[in-house]
Amino acid sequence: MKPSNHSIVSMMLTIDRRYIFVLIALATLIPLLNPINLPIVISPEVRAVYDHMESLPEGAVFLLSMDFDPASKPEVYPQAISLLRHAFKKNMKVIGMTLVVTGTGMAEEVIATVAEDMGKINGIDYTFLGWRPGASAVILSMGQDLAGTFPQDHYGTPIDELFVMEHVKTLRDVDYAVSLAAGFPGIDEWYIYGKDKYQFELGGGSTAVMAPGLYPRLRGGQINGLIGGLRGAAEYEKLLDQSGKAMAGMDAQSATHFVIIVLVILCNVFYAISRQQKRGWRRT
Amino acid sequence: MCKRIVSFVFTVVVMFLSPLASVVVQAQLQPPQDFRVMDTPNDGGRSLTLGWRASTFDGPSLQYRVLIAMAVEGPYQEVAAFSNNQHFQKDTKSPWWAHLFEQNNHRFDLKSGGQLMLSDGTPYWVKLVIDNGMDSSETQPLSATSFPNFFNWAQANNLLLLILFTVAVLFSILRARKNPHGFLRRIEGLDAVEEAIGRATEMGKPILYLTGSAAMDNPSTIAATVVLSEVAKKVSAYEAGLIVPHRDPIVLAICQEITKEAYTQTGHPDAYKTEMNFYITDDQFSYTAAVQGIMLRERPAAIFMLGYYYAESLLLAETGHEAGAIQIAGTDADHQLPFFFIACDYTLMGEELYAASAYLSREPVMVGTLRAQDMGKAVLLGALILGVAISTIGEIFQTETLMYVAQVFYDFK
Amino acid sequence: MQYYVPHPASEALLTSASNWMIIIGGFALILGLVSLIQLHMNRIQRNVEGWGYSGVLFAAMFVMVIAGILAGGENLDSERELTGYGWTYSYAMVPLQGTMFSLLAFFVASAAYRAFRARTKEAALLLVAAILMMWGRVPLGEYLWAFSGDIAQWILNVINSSVRRAILIGVSLGMIALSIKIIFGIERMYLGGKKE
Repeated sequence: MKPSNHSIVSMMLTIDRRYIFVLIALATLIPLLNPINLPIVISPEVRAVYDHMESLPEGAVFLLSMDFDPASKPEVYPQAISLLRHAFKKNMKVIGMTLVVTGTGMAEEVIATVAEDMGKINGIDYTFLGWRPGASAVILSMGQDLAGTFPQDHYGTPIDELFVMEHVKTLRDVDYAVSLAAGFPGIDEWYIYGKDKYQFELGGGSTAVMAPGLYPRLRGGQINGLIGGLRGAAEYEKLLDQSGKAMAGMDAQSATHFVIIVLVILCNVFYAISRQQKRGWRRT
Repeated sequence: MCKRIVSFVFTVVVMFLSPLASVVVQAQLQPPQDFRVMDTPNDGGRSLTLGWRASTFDGPSLQYRVLIAMAVEGPYQEVAAFSNNQHFQKDTKSPWWAHLFEQNNHRFDLKSGGQLMLSDGTPYWVKLVIDNGMDSSETQPLSATSFPNFFNWAQANNLLLLILFTVAVLFSILRARKNPHGFLRRIEGLDAVEEAIGRATEMGKPILYLTGSAAMDNPSTIAATVVLSEVAKKVSAYEAGLIVPHRDPIVLAICQEITKEAYTQTGHPDAYKTEMNFYITDDQFSYTAAVQGIMLRERPAAIFMLGYYYAESLLLAETGHEAGAIQIAGTDADHQLPFFFIACDYTLMGEELYAASAYLSREPVMVGTLRAQDMGKAVLLGALILGVAISTIGEIFQTETLMYVAQVFYDFK
Repeated sequence: MQYYVPHPASEALLTSASNWMIIIGGFALILGLVSLIQLHMNRIQRNVEGWGYSGVLFAAMFVMVIAGILAGGENLDSERELTGYGWTYSYAMVPLQGTMFSLLAFFVASAAYRAFRARTKEAALLLVAAILMMWGRVPLGEYLWAFSGDIAQWILNVINSSVRRAILIGVSLGMIALSIKIIFGIERMYLGGKKE
């Protein structure tokens, strides 16, 4: 019996990772196909972004920098949708842009789609500035002269001719900026080269992988709130009372987390058994 | 008796009327006292600062209005309005050595932006109006000119600490040159470098070296290229293979030079091949997919992942593990450390990456720098303890006197 | 310098330096392209194992460059229809990159299964913290045990933040020391030179 037990334990400890992949795939797929809509608790960092947006008056200037690439779309794109919906609902002046060249297409798509849904007009209610090379240099340059950095919007209209940009000359004229980031350039750059120098309120949104690294910035007041990953996006959707892709993905995320928890516990049970078996053999 | 009654009635009447009298006096609003206008210090220009003494009857029912004009006679334009219980010197984040007014005095910064456009070098006339809804009173207009400053005195403490740290680094290097046998704590990951290269040689498999995802302006990339030099020397001495794929063309060019120099220094210039370093793409996941492919096709015996990494860290480290390589990672990207930690054999955490070149080369200059870093850390640790103690004592005794000491270590951004 | 000198001249200097970096980066990209083409041409010429992948690389590069030139770099045309470039972006690049990123979920699971073993007291602590975080950060966890969300939040806000700050202090000192060495010309190895 001992050898067969040992072989099962060692087999489980060195299990082919493809079995784990199948479990994760099932844990993602099944809840997506049969959602049960678990209740979502709102975290203080997401509420801080929402509350700040709520506190802004009609016509306030809201800058959304969508600094993410297609790879981060599933997590960060729903955040962009929610923030844009909120800003348009509050009749803010919305300025969209990106610091990541591969994200330009997505950023344009999200702002144009949400604006169309909310009945907003390009140039009057919002503008999409597009992308400029230079990452942090772009932020710095926007702080000095926005029209100099982006002489035209993404569609070629001079920004001096846009009603939405009428009183927006530099970053100092922005009431609230949010960077939705998946790496470099992102929230860190917006803080160091933007908020720190030009004194506007800054919020952040990021992938779940990056979020824990941004907590020191959050605690230090360098960003006023943080929307972390799909969970953060789902919380924002709930605050807006609009069910979207993020809320739909929460069941799948719950299931995968619990699959990993069960796997880790099982692995430790097998590990404990294997250690006990080894001790037993040493004694005999 | 009658006199007493008259005196009592008189006293009562006076007592009742005196507050009314003060209200009457207050109703005739006095203009704000000690009103001053000046260029905002420590800034990039296009901003004026107003200061005035807080009056005893400040409150939310009273309002201040700021008026500005290009000439003393006007026309004056209202540019700001706020209630009397707002905008004090104590609200601004500046250290005691950069305070313009007393802590409880009002301070308001008039910055260029929106509809207010201030130009540097142009004199402006500013006056302040106090308004209680029924009556108002204003100061004499004062003139000031804004200009950009060359030094931010609020950050003088930071510069002082930087100068002290620079002196400590240079002093430690000089000392290390005189006494080159300094103690270095054991770093397992770096001890394993020799073992990893030896293993690759025995197995006849190459070594894969990654310099991270950041460009050459990132210190961790510089640290990774410095370590590459040491690794390349050992690789050339063992005559093992070396593969260095890149995400940044400038890093590629520099690493080609470093590798060539390392092979020349060990007396194996012929063994050097330009193709050891090659460019893939600057796109994060395209690069990751390509490197994963190299890991699975070439099956390197050792993989070094040093520098700055993003989400690709776990994808690379897991694939490297699957390829059966001994993996040594090192990054200052704190958010990626957990991934390297669970998937790699050895992980250099944070500053250990910067210490790696000193550890591998044992050069006195490098080792000396580590000593200075330790001194810097000791100073910061002391400042932390002092800060916590001062804040706690200040809270207990309700005093801000000790904050003068604590502010020396503050960051005033 | 930017940190201590608020004058617009220092900002202009930084912007100018950044612009130069962009220009140099643009030219350096030619170096990278030459390196990439040389490597894969060699592979094809020498018929090394997997040379077909090099062919796929050239084909993909060619298709993307031609589509980009024809569409003028725009994703949508004047009638807001997808251009060829937009099509390759939306239906090739976006799903391919999304696939790569989503692999993380699978790799996290396999790495966690392999690494989170209570071998030592420290490893056990890591294991418990990981389970609490995974439990408390999803709606199911909070539904089953309401307090788990607060615990996860506390770990993130207090333990995580303080540890990261400690690491950042060390990293920052290392960065400053390296920068001082570079400024004083003590460290020149990154330029392919010898140490002083």
